[in-house]
Amino acid sequence: MRLVLTSQSDQPRLRAAFSLGITTLLVMGLVASQWLLGDSAQQMQFDARLAPPSIDHWLGTDALGRELWARTLAGLALSFWVGCLAALLSTLIALSLAALATLSARLDALVSLLIDTLLSVPHLILLMLIAFALGGGTQAVIIAVAVTHWPSLARVLRAELLHLRQAPYVRISRALGKTRWFVLHDHLLPHLLPHCLVGALLLFPHAILHEAALTFLGFGLSPSQPAIGVLLADAMRYLNSGYWWLGVFPGLGLLLMVLSFERLSSHLRRAL
Amino acid sequence: MAKPTRSILLGIALSCLTAISNAQAKEQLVLAIGGEPEQGFDPLLGWGQYGNPLFQSTLLSRGRDLTPQPELATEWSLSEDRLTWTLTLRDDARFADGAPLTAEDVAYTFNAAAKAGGRADLSALDHAQAVDEHTVTLYLRTPRITFSDQLMTLGIVPSAERDNGYSEQYGRQPLGSGPYQLVEWQEGEQLIVERNPYFYGPTPAFERLVFRFTGEDATLSAAHAGQVDIASVPPALAANVPTHMQRVIMQSVDNRGILFPMQPANGEHAESGAPIGNDVTADLAIRQAINLAVDRNTLVEVALHGFGRPAFGPADGLAWSDDEEHVDAPDLTLAGEILDAAGWALHDDGLRYKDGLPARFRLTYPASDTTRQLLAEVSAEMVRPLGIEMQPTGRHWDEIQREALHQDAIMFGFGSHSPQEIYYLFHSQHAGNGFYNSGFYANPEVDAHLDAAQAADSLEQANQYWQAAQWDGTTGYGLRGDSSWAWLVNLEHVYFANTCLDVGELGVAPHGHGWPITANLLEWRWTCEE
Repeated sequence: MRLVLTSQSDQPRLRAAFSLGITTLLVMGLVASQWLLGDSAQQMQFDARLAPPSIDHWLGTDALGRELWARTLAGLALSFWVGCLAALLSTLIALSLAALATLSARLDALVSLLIDTLLSVPHLILLMLIAFALGGGTQAVIIAVAVTHWPSLARVLRAELLHLRQAPYVRISRALGKTRWFVLHDHLLPHLLPHCLVGALLLFPHAILHEAALTFLGFGLSPSQPAIGVLLADAMRYLNSGYWWLGVFPGLGLLLMVLSFERLSSHLRRAL
Repeated sequence: MAKPTRSILLGIALSCLTAISNAQAKEQLVLAIGGEPEQGFDPLLGWGQYGNPLFQSTLLSRGRDLTPQPELATEWSLSEDRLTWTLTLRDDARFADGAPLTAEDVAYTFNAAAKAGGRADLSALDHAQAVDEHTVTLYLRTPRITFSDQLMTLGIVPSAERDNGYSEQYGRQPLGSGPYQLVEWQEGEQLIVERNPYFYGPTPAFERLVFRFTGEDATLSAAHAGQVDIASVPPALAANVPTHMQRVIMQSVDNRGILFPMQPANGEHAESGAPIGNDVTADLAIRQAINLAVDRNTLVEVALHGFGRPAFGPADGLAWSDDEEHVDAPDLTLAGEILDAAGWALHDDGLRYKDGLPARFRLTYPASDTTRQLLAEVSAEMVRPLGIEMQPTGRHWDEIQREALHQDAIMFGFGSHSPQEIYYLFHSQHAGNGFYNSGFYANPEVDAHLDAAQAADSLEQANQYWQAAQWDGTTGYGLRGDSSWAWLVNLEHVYFANTCLDVGELGVAPHGHGWPITANLLEWRWTCEE
């Protein structure tokens, strides 16, 4: 038993590759399902409203007779794109600000202040304020998630950059008269890419969960879009009436997606 | 030691006595029926126009058959030339601070409401004058058939001249002669009111009312947890009645329908900055096709769970509406032919196009309203086979006003006890007037009929003109004419009420699921022993 554990923990790269394979399969399946299913998530069957899970309706139907499996898949796909874009934007913001911080001591102080300020405000409140101010919708949710999730990653990247700046080869390069831009672009950024990748992957589950939370609370996507937050908010209304499948399956789907990305990012962090 | 002990015992005995007397009658009623007014409880700004003003009383009240009944005024008359109303007031009406309500207060209320430009339409009023302490005269500029409705909806406020008189803060600290007075209003949360000791009518059965302003989900949860005595519930969630409650249905003239922007988009903006017009809905063929394609019976069944009936106009069943306005059954073939004839060709992608313009537009609804969401989603599905894509879009009310009001089709609700609403909805003079006629509908023939109705000699004659505005044989705002709306359903208002609460005989509610049920509050009784 001990031997098995040791051999597993000794192979972080293998585990990361395994996680990557599983997650890639899940994502490819999700994307392909949206391509194959078309608009079946919105198709109504008025004679099969609120039908429980059965052979005809795999995960049951909602109040308008729409298949829950199609809606859950559509919701996960929507969450995936929102999460991807938000995590990507967030990483770009973090990287830009961390790079900015290396340019001068004053800029560094400013960026640090910004990071500390944003970290001191609860995420969800800030998210709601920004999404509400931008009028809701997919774009607003992506922007709100992106501008609230970068500080932790920016702090890591800034610390890494400050550390790298003192490395002998960087000091030599500067002593030889290379410009700051050259040093940043050719020496520092290549070192940061693995950090960015892991950071973005760690941000992704957060982004998805916050997107769902925002939508659930009514500040995010339109209630007519099949987003996971919308499905869960709908399910809440019917919970008293015993329609358990409306909440359970979209919730499980979200959990599965978040867990798979969370595992992937933690394995990658160890492997890199 | 003896004295304090005795006083403690006396205190305990007294509190026991109080407890016993409390147990005999329920003193407090908790209502979760929504309807919190943004502008406060100020009749001059519109409070009381839909339903019951609660804090204030009106000159006349509406009977179950919608005829005027005495309230503050015991006698009333209209002059031969239909320009002067004379009303005699009761002499025992007092405001909640004990001061008598006089003709001065009535004159002040009408003059100030005319200036305030709120929801009360007093544009025909020249001025109001107190003749003596109990007689008031209202002088009109032109005969206005719907003016009497204002006598039944405008709550009387104390004159600004007297102590505790009307001020800018009135909406938050209302003082009136109605059955209840305000104790505390925590905006967005709850309103607590208590009996007005000086109320001239019968004493209400409940000393205190607590109105909880919660969303649909929280209201339903509170009802199931036994925390409220009466709760308004959306029809889609009305199937599962909590064990200690019963379902109460109130008939209504409350309707839901799709308002179409009537002007093409030519870059114009309303005063609010919202863009005006929509090239797709400005086409008559599109509006006619949608009206033919929606299956209203299925909408009632699916979106209202049977708690309603199909709607074909803004005032179905009322005297000022044309009974012949209806669609027998959805007819997609005829709708398709109309679209073909108008040049909307069906393409391979399942959508119709005309000169490169796709038949696609947003159908906006307030995101917090489940019923409107269901209606929007189901009706969009119904017109999809035609090649028209209505995109159901949920937004907040303020965003609707800022962005969507004049350029999107909107899932609206109206319904009034007065034909004045028809005038607001379809007269070009009210184009862009808030939510009324927000589609900028304008038809000179319809305007002429509406003006003629307002100036009519009698209610019967006025009703003929109101109906002609809907369809006069050649044009009209209705289905056979401009199809300016696709009216969908008339609602039944559903409430869960505690089985011990007897709400008496309910009337017919106007638009507004909530306050209208309090119209007969004085008849409500608690039938169980606490």
